[in-house]
Amino acid sequence: MSEKGVLDGVRVLTLEQVHALPWGTGFLADLGADVIRVESPDHLQDRKAGPFPDGKAGEEWWNEGGNLVYYGTRNKRSLCMDVTQPRGKEVFLKLVEKTDIVTDNFRPGTMQRFGFDHDSLSAINPRIITLSSTAYGYTGPWRRAGSRARTVDAACGLSYLTGYEGGPSMRASNNYMDHSVGNNVAYALLLALYQRKKTGKGMRVDLTMLETGVSAVGPAILEAQKGITRDRLGCAHWWKAPHNVYPARDDDRWIVIVVSSDEEWERLKEVMGFPDWARDPRFDTALSRWRNRHELDQLLGEWTSRQDDLEMARDLQEKGVTAGACITARDLVNDAHLQEREYLWEFANPQAPEVGARVFAGRPYRDAGNPMTLSKVAGLGQDNGTILTELAGLSQSEIDGLEADGVIFGAPRPDEPRP
Amino acid sequence: MSGILSELRVLELANRPSGAFCAKLLADQGADTIKVEPPGWGDQSRQEPPFIGEVPHPDRSSVFLSFNTNKRGITLDVEQAEGRKLFLRLSQSADIVIESYRPGRMAELVLDYETLAQENPRVILVSITYFGQDGPYADYQGDDLVAQAMGGYLYAVTGSAAKPPMGTALQQMEITAARNGAVAVMAALLRRDQTERGTHIDVSTMEAAVSTPSGLVHPYTYTGRNPHRGGSDGNVMDGMHLPTLDGEVTLTTAGTGGRPMQAWAEFLEEPGLTDPKFATRGGRMEHWEELHSLVAPRLAQWTNLDLMRETMARGLVIGLVQTPTQVVESPHLEERGFFVELDHPETGAMLYPGSGFFIDGDNAMAGNRAAPQLGEHNVEILGGELGLSLRELGLLRAARVI
Repeated sequence: MSEKGVLDGVRVLTLEQVHALPWGTGFLADLGADVIRVESPDHLQDRKAGPFPDGKAGEEWWNEGGNLVYYGTRNKRSLCMDVTQPRGKEVFLKLVEKTDIVTDNFRPGTMQRFGFDHDSLSAINPRIITLSSTAYGYTGPWRRAGSRARTVDAACGLSYLTGYEGGPSMRASNNYMDHSVGNNVAYALLLALYQRKKTGKGMRVDLTMLETGVSAVGPAILEAQKGITRDRLGCAHWWKAPHNVYPARDDDRWIVIVVSSDEEWERLKEVMGFPDWARDPRFDTALSRWRNRHELDQLLGEWTSRQDDLEMARDLQEKGVTAGACITARDLVNDAHLQEREYLWEFANPQAPEVGARVFAGRPYRDAGNPMTLSKVAGLGQDNGTILTELAGLSQSEIDGLEADGVIFGAPRPDEPRP
Repeated sequence: MSGILSELRVLELANRPSGAFCAKLLADQGADTIKVEPPGWGDQSRQEPPFIGEVPHPDRSSVFLSFNTNKRGITLDVEQAEGRKLFLRLSQSADIVIESYRPGRMAELVLDYETLAQENPRVILVSITYFGQDGPYADYQGDDLVAQAMGGYLYAVTGSAAKPPMGTALQQMEITAARNGAVAVMAALLRRDQTERGTHIDVSTMEAAVSTPSGLVHPYTYTGRNPHRGGSDGNVMDGMHLPTLDGEVTLTTAGTGGRPMQAWAEFLEEPGLTDPKFATRGGRMEHWEELHSLVAPRLAQWTNLDLMRETMARGLVIGLVQTPTQVVESPHLEERGFFVELDHPETGAMLYPGSGFFIDGDNAMAGNRAAPQLGEHNVEILGGELGLSLRELGLLRAARVI
């Protein structure tokens, strides 16, 4: 990157685990902030989570997982330090003096136990912004409950509304809410920085997964208050038909076709070569197509099942019908559109030379004024020395002492179980 | 509270859920957000069911109402020369313009970034489309389901392995694209403070879909295996939904100190769960029907809120599969003050979700305005702010410009 990132000079200390918060602070790191991931030697789950080449963790497994590149320590620095020890805590608080943002995703109470609650940090640095990303927040009867992303997909109403037509509710995803929450974390932190420029004062952000999830299902929240129930429809639609996923020729290949108007229906008929069934007056109007959608889906599915999904989708789009092949991860890597937009990034992590170059999903927007690149991925404790010297003002012998006494770490403990 | 973005003006020319939700995120933080709708039918989502009160009406669509809080609304036909002129005048005082036309259409209308920036170099233009501004699919048509399909989400994430792909409800790819757009806007605003220059942001809903699962792309490039849907199939302890007295719940093996079956056997008072065949994840999947027959009757004796309280007390981690009604009536959300009440002339007062974060204890939802009625602020904005006389407004109305 030739010019400096917009957040150059902004420092973030993050006590983060799993997914939502690392995804959120990753945006700030992409934008040039100095994001320091403070990692505990006793909680290396994220570094065990992989994915590893061919599913096998290598010699330096703690630096080899793909999730680290995708969001875990992308463009961040790593300080592996036990902040529960007095000297670790002391160093952490020294760093807070030179920090703009402290984030965590512990359950409410943990930061206070460490002495890292907002009031304590604010006493050291009144400009500090703290954000806690939790499942249910710092107040309310559920504040002590643990969570997984999918338990929040459930609690916010999204999973109840998700399911095959006529079938039971289904888990919406394993971790959709992690990403939605990560995006909200990035938005809230950038808002906080924007506000601080005006006021000069720090602030406290209590951000929750549950509430971010509820904010994403607003229509159903309004409907519920007026007694309207939203039926589960699978890939079908409230008023469009055809609007579904249809089988293609090859095994487990599928296509989505969406018709929003009579004109589009005419174009679809033309692509199909005006088969007899499609001339049936039952399919002539939006309302009659929707009423007869099960039969329509069946007949259309017979047509789609004779063809290649990718060719069919291209053909339909070129003739003005909204359609898309239901593609796999392998297809994504080879997708001409994503390649031409330079969405996919190939990256060889210098901290994991055995892994070699791999392809990753890139950033989901472009802004020529704020370019984002992948420049580094922090290995465990890789930046201990520079951070402690430059920011905490420690001498080399003090740093050596912390390492000898088991306060900071450059690798997992020898007896750490392998993933 | 007045809102962090209260000194900013946003013009929304979106007509798609992603652009509308992106503008809403800014409006809810206090930005003066003007939704520009085509005269006549207005935003497409005004016509989408379901309607509050079940009566089809352009001010009663639940999607429209929920995606357009805290905005003012005008009608303006930017396809007509006079409409474009007025839009350009409005854009001179705008900090952010959000649009979702097919790529190239803004240039045909002479409303592209270069044109807008000529008059207002500080303007930030956000284009949110299904496939982005360039590339082979740029001119393709999309919707949320197409984005799920072409982003790899539909195949891999939600449905059952033995069934066709099935997606997530309620247009979540549109929502994610909108959130990406809002992040990009905030970064551009901070950049603008340094450079005095705006920018053109290109958001793709397909790319939002690719980024949304924990990673479709790199799990494949690391392992050579395609992620495949079906992760909750037969997964009693970590994925399935199980009935309770008044709803459903999903369990996890978290919070059990690595001895999930002992912990759950104790809690559910069902010693059969400690049978060695359920000890490993693989064993639980293999014998899932038997496991289900032990767990389900026990859970069915609990109400949702009791189960939540008691599992929480023991450190077990569950998720209530709440209906939207249960969410609205949630004692937890009520105690936190998450919902805000907004009044609306057609629907009356209703509770709307907050932003998902509280700042210094306050729900970060500035403003108290429900979605605008079609053309509600024409006189206020085009008359009051652009200085058109009532006679001129009448002429524009006759010419169907407003």
